[in-house]
Amino acid sequence: MSIVEVRNLTKEYPSFVLKDVSFNIEASRITGFIGRNGSGKTTTIKAILNLIHANGGTVNYFGKPLIGNETEIKKHIGYSTGVVNWYPRKKIADIVAIVKRFYDTWDDEAYRKYLNMFKLDPQKAPMELSEGMKVKFNLLIALSHKAEVLILDEPTSGLDPFSRSELLDVFDELKRDGVAVFFSTHIISDIEKCADDIVYISEGKLVAATSKEDFIEKFSQAGESLEDIMLRMERGIDHE
Amino acid sequence: MSNILLKEMKLSASPLAYIFILFGLMFFLPGYPVLCGAFFVTLGIFQSFQTAREANDIVFSALLPIAKKDVVKGKFLFVCMIEACALILMAISMIIRMTFFLDSPVYQNNALMNANLFALGVAFLIFGLFNLIFLAGFFKTAYNIGRPFIIYIVAAFLTIGVAEALHHFPGLEPLNAFGTDHMGLQLILLAAGIISYIIITVLAYKKACRDFEKIDL
Repeated sequence: MSIVEVRNLTKEYPSFVLKDVSFNIEASRITGFIGRNGSGKTTTIKAILNLIHANGGTVNYFGKPLIGNETEIKKHIGYSTGVVNWYPRKKIADIVAIVKRFYDTWDDEAYRKYLNMFKLDPQKAPMELSEGMKVKFNLLIALSHKAEVLILDEPTSGLDPFSRSELLDVFDELKRDGVAVFFSTHIISDIEKCADDIVYISEGKLVAATSKEDFIEKFSQAGESLEDIMLRMERGIDHE
Repeated sequence: MSNILLKEMKLSASPLAYIFILFGLMFFLPGYPVLCGAFFVTLGIFQSFQTAREANDIVFSALLPIAKKDVVKGKFLFVCMIEACALILMAISMIIRMTFFLDSPVYQNNALMNANLFALGVAFLIFGLFNLIFLAGFFKTAYNIGRPFIIYIVAAFLTIGVAEALHHFPGLEPLNAFGTDHMGLQLILLAAGIISYIIITVLAYKKACRDFEKIDL
């Protein structure tokens, strides 16, 4: 079942155009959103979170358009926008105490579980955290209100290999609980390890939006790995 | 209390915004342009916006399950709350100064504007200008705080200067009424200040909502 339907999403900047991007985010599946730096991943994520205004296209959550239903829809979304320093001098516990008031579905048990799993000290302030721990703090908030869809921008960047593996295991667990996980990354091995579906964009254009198996079957030459496929395709795009 | 106001008070606000409310007590000072107190209160609010910008507060708020106009509403509620606290201090200072210390020579021989109901009305007007110029100006970009604050400084000090100068013009002496003198006029001027504040703030809020809806974060 499609939780999120993105159709013909277009955003024009003076020096960059995101053009006609369409894909679905399915329940109980992990979707890896890949593309090199500057390909439009963050622009797409900002547009589907309504942080920026698309010049064209539609974004529907749970069959309803985001525009006009934003407040209700956001209650069911967990998001993490990379390594952003929210309130760097406030204690994590104080930030969480405010944030949880906005979510009827806030789950203190899940909060404590991920707090322990990520080894976060609630008495610390974000400025005292490493970059990787900041990502975990963002994820902690995203995971603690029983979101039905997680939209995560580069959640594994800056994490050590053990933390990355741990996080991918969390994605798997959430998937089994019916959650749709959508995460952008340029670390192909993360996609290889846990993604069910792939959305691949390059230079603002959608290259593919399909299951991982179909993607490999369609684009693989002579038994190439996903990483080899991506490198070859990006080189091909560079040479065009 | 609304969640968004609580978020403003506990996460976004700088402690200076609260401490600078005390500048409302400048209405006690004799021989000093008392309306500068209103400006210093807004300086504390400005500091809050600077702190909030460093904390990525606007994007954080926009990602919460609230409408974009509620982000604007939170900021306006917070600013109006600080202004209301300062106005209460100003009113208390003015009442004490004009009753218990009515016979005090330092207040009777005050060379500058008296802290009367007219002065309180002008303080309302200065806060209204802050809401219109700085607060609504901020939401054009949700980032730039310098330009709207500089324009506000000019407007605020022009208002203070004009208010201080007016009673020196022939026929306008009652504006500097002492104690309960010219009470009818003083009440009308206070009411004019309050009405201006309300109208300007409502217009500023509507403009800020429109502008904030248009921008990309």
